This record gives sequence, structure tokens and C-alpha cells, in this order.
Amino acid sequence: MIKLEKVSKTYFTDKVQTLALKDIDLHVQKSEFVCIMGPSGCGKSTLLNIIGLLDRPGAGAIHVGGREVQSYKDKHVAKLRNDTFGFIFQSFHLINDLRVIDNVELPLLYRSMPGSERRERARAALEKVGLGARMEHYPNQLSGGQQQRVAIARAMVGQPGVLLADEPTGNLDSKMGAEVMDILLKLNEEGTTVVMVTHDENEARRAHRIVRVFDGQLVA
Amino acid sequence: MLKNYLLTAWNVFQRRKLFTAINLACIVLTLVVLLVVTALLQEAFYPSGVEHRSNRFLQVHMMEATNEKGTAISRSPLGYRVIDKYLKPMPGVEMVATVSGIEPTAVIMNGASTELNMRHADAEYWRVMDFKVLAGRVPNEDDVAQGRMVAVLARSMALKLFGDPAPLNRKLETGGQTFTVIGVVQDAMHLNAYADIWVPVTAYPNTDFRHRMTGNFFALLLARSPDDLPAIRAEVHRIAGKMDFAGDPEFTKGEMWADSKIDMFARTLTGSKDINPDTGVVIPGGKIIGGANLVLGGVMILMLLFMLLPALNLVNLNVGRIMERSTEIGVRKAFGASNNQLAAQLVLENVLLCLAGGAIALVLAAGVLWWMEAAGPIPYLKVGLNLAVFGWGLLITVVFGVLSGVVPAMKMSRLDPVHALKGAA
Repeated sequence: MIKLEKVSKTYFTDKVQTLALKDIDLHVQKSEFVCIMGPSGCGKSTLLNIIGLLDRPGAGAIHVGGREVQSYKDKHVAKLRNDTFGFIFQSFHLINDLRVIDNVELPLLYRSMPGSERRERARAALEKVGLGARMEHYPNQLSGGQQQRVAIARAMVGQPGVLLADEPTGNLDSKMGAEVMDILLKLNEEGTTVVMVTHDENEARRAHRIVRVFDGQLVA
Repeated sequence: MLKNYLLTAWNVFQRRKLFTAINLACIVLTLVVLLVVTALLQEAFYPSGVEHRSNRFLQVHMMEATNEKGTAISRSPLGYRVIDKYLKPMPGVEMVATVSGIEPTAVIMNGASTELNMRHADAEYWRVMDFKVLAGRVPNEDDVAQGRMVAVLARSMALKLFGDPAPLNRKLETGGQTFTVIGVVQDAMHLNAYADIWVPVTAYPNTDFRHRMTGNFFALLLARSPDDLPAIRAEVHRIAGKMDFAGDPEFTKGEMWADSKIDMFARTLTGSKDINPDTGVVIPGGKIIGGANLVLGGVMILMLLFMLLPALNLVNLNVGRIMERSTEIGVRKAFGASNNQLAAQLVLENVLLCLAGGAIALVLAAGVLWWMEAAGPIPYLKVGLNLAVFGWGLLITVVFGVLSGVVPAMKMSRLDPVHALKGAA
């Protein structure tokens, strides 16, 4: 499904070069649940961003669905992100100026789809995460756990093949975190590939595989 | 998608009320000035009101006489003889009207002196122009031929002098002559129409004016169709070259220009003069390559420059506003928005804000024009925000919106999504 070959990434500031990732080889299978773990600043989020085509590697190759994609232009990368990936962020990143239903609809805006179908799909996604009654609310009217469930609904509304979650329970208490994990596991059981960054060993143990990163490199 | 964009825009405007208010104030102020100027320019140069036939008439306001060596040049308005002998008989026109420039005079009524702007005009003048006659009639060929001492008053002047909007058959004395009022017309401020009182061209105290090559007259040449105008221009040029200055041996060669209103304005500004007699167009490489296009281009550039300063200010404000929304930009990118789609969204928001400003500005501009009509800084001004001005206003608004939105939109749409998501635009 996703294959990284010798991927490296270096950040440059005025005088400092920081090697964020070095020679990463990673293969994520379809319907797999992979957890990326490691200490703060080790390159976990950078790896996730590169997998999700939000960031470009300095070297190496990325294959998505068998196609090498790092040379794609912005328009094609945008289309690939829209078709293939759903993102869940630690800080939810909902758009506060939009209602919950409009937030969830957002990925479908960038597809050729009638408004009624978009609305229907967004409604179904919200009901799936138990927020069917909160569609007309604004994000800041919801609790953290509810906001993260909205974010999950947004990530899955386009039925992407891969969900990329960057510490999705990091800002939630344990009960809400468990609820979010349950939803992700359920989506994975239904066939969605999940790649999740986490610090929590208990959550990671529920994944099929744990990938550990240290100083920008994968460790056994 | 559009609905989502509109919804986002509406919520953004509501959430950032101060920013929205500052932006709107900036837009409204700029657009009010532009709309008022556009309305005045349109009224001055576009066929409207008494000059609604101006798309098919040309004006000959000025003639130039030079000596054989080209060392002495005399420029002046036309004498009656030039119009009567050379222009009236010219082929290819529907009619040629004669009218004097504004002649300041005074009339004493009830012991008080009132200053007036007078014109002497022939009967054709009243047919080329389309005055709205409010009472009585305008002079005809017979009045002019007989040299009758009749006068037409503008409505405001009729009220001022007589306290009566229709003082027909009343007498007024000016310049030692007594005129009988035979008609009252609607006030008009157009270039060739503006006056307080009109009398027949033959009402001068003596007939010397008939024999002069230079004077205070100009001619209005009404074409049968706007398509005939280039040929008329060429014919006027040809006629000018054959004028006989026998009475004034110093000069041997004449030149005249038949101009549209805007061409005449351009010529006043630029002094352009060299015209191809076959095509009637200004010859490139002549003294000045000028004319209407130059003036229109200049007006457009001035308007754009005028919009540029507030636009730059808005660009700054917009960059600040959009930077606050960098996370949203990152989210939209993450979920599949391309750079172009994001730029379109941000520009649309700006255009919407400008359209809202445009709507407010239209109302305010109408108010300003109403005030200008009522308070009278420009005599007899009758100008409103008609559909053409509204169209200009809309165009200006959209240009303004794009101008002030496209730079920040392009810049912000190219944000790296990872940095945008961190809110580090």
C-alpha cells in the first residue's frame, strides 16, 4: 500500500542543519494498523507527514498504491491526498468558522460530487462516530473528545484507504482517548489502513505492528 | 464548494468585526471617490441628456492660422465666416450648427444686477442639441433670419430673474439690448449646452461678426451616422487647408480639427494636431500622438493608481488576516485542496468583501452626487448613478477585490502544509 525506500529528510535553518530522518525503509500493508513510537523530536511526525505527502523527503522514494509519487506536481499530490489519505491531528484542527457538518464535508469539496451526496455522506460519518445530533454545532461548542470524533468523521468521510493519525489521543483524557482508539480499531477492522503516531504503549499494543524511531532512524 | 466558501467568508467577517469594518471603510472611501469621478466623466463624455446625440456629432472649437514660413501661429475659436462659408456647405453631414462660447453678461431686474452666461446660437443648434423645452419654444430659422430679439432661459435662471418658471413674453435687458423671453428649457451643464440664456446668433448689435475669420464661435457637425465621422474629420481638415485669409495677409494656411468631446478634451491637454486627411486619425510621429485613447488610457491609469494605495494597504491587512488562518489553510491542503483552489477561495472572500463595500459605496456615491446637484458646486449638474455607472462601479469593485486579494492569496496558498498546520505561516 505504502512503501518508503531510503527516505531521508534534513531541515535547514540559517546556520543549522537538522537531520530529521535518515534512510527510512518502511512498508505498510493494506488494512494494517501500524503505530509509530519514539521519544519527542525523534522524527515520528515528520515520518507521518512524509507518508501523507504533506512533506517532501530530501532523498529516497515514496510509493503509494504502487506508484512512485515524490515527483508529482502540487495538483496531483492534492488529488492523491484527497483520494488516499485521511488525517487526524492531535489538536483536532477543525475550522472554527464552520459548523461541524461543514467541517466533515470539507474533503468532499475537492471532489466532483453533488452537494446533496456530500451532505448525506457527512451526516453518515457523523452518525458513525456518535455525533449525529451535533451537526449544526460549531467546534468550540463541543468537548475535546467530541471534537476529535468530528475530526475522525472528517478523515473517514471520503473513504480513504489510509488514516494517518498524529497522536490523536494526546489532548484527551483516558476515557475519551479510549473511545477514539475504539473508533480507529473499528475502522481498521472494516479494512482501512491506519498509521498512528503515539507515545502510549498501551495504545500501541493494540496495533498490528509497532515501528520505533530514534534519532531519525528506524530501530528494531 | 462555493456555498462552503461563502459560508466560511461570512463567518470570518462576523468573527473579525474590527478587521471587516476597517477593510470596508477603506474600500468604501476609495470606491465613493472613484464612482463619483466615473459618474462625472460619464456625464461629461458619454452621450447623455441634451447631448445624447454626441456619438454622432463632432465639434470644431479651434482653428489655427500660420504664415507661409510657419513662424507665426495664431490659434483662436472660429469666426462666424469660417462656419458660414466653409463648414455649413460641406457635404456628408446632416447639419451644421453655430453657437458661441460662453459670453458673460449682466441683467438688471428689479434694481438688482444678476450675472448671466449667454450664448448666441443659430436654429440648427436647437436641433443638434436636445433640450427639454419646459415652456414656450426655442428660436427657429425665421427668428434667426429676421434677427429677432428673443431669448430662451434656463429654468433656474427664469426662476431667479422672474420668480416664475415660465416667464413667457417678459422682457429683460442686457448689454444695452432688450430681449423677449420665448421659452424656458431644462438646466443643462453639458459642454456645448451650459448657459443661462440663449439668443439668436443674429442678435449682435452689429453685423461685423459675419465677416470675421476668428471669433468666439464653434461649430457642431451632426453626422447621419457615427460611421460618417472619420470622413467628416477628413473633410474638415481638407477644407481648412483651402481657407482663404485674404483679409489677413499675414496668414496663408489654416487648420481645424473636428473632434468628439473626448478628443477635444485630449487636444486641449496634449495639443495633438497632425491628422491623416484620408482617415481622420492622428498621424503617429506628429507633434503629439494624442486623442481619446490617450486620455482614456490616462484616466484608467490614474484610477488604477488611485486604487493601488488602498489595495496595498488591504494586501497588508489581508496577509495578517490570512496568516491567522494558516491552520485552516494547512487543513484544507491536507484534505486535498490545491494551491489554485485555495487562492480562488481567498480571492473570492476578498471580492465578496469588496462587493459589499461596493454596495455601500454605491449608496454613498449616490448621496454625494445628490448633494453635488443640490448644493451646486458645479452649476446645473444633473448626474445620477445610472446603470452604466453601476456597471463601472461593479467592475471597479471586482478589480479592487482581485487587486487586493490576489497577492496575499497566492502567497498564502503556497504555504507548506506542515508549517501551515503548526500555525507558523
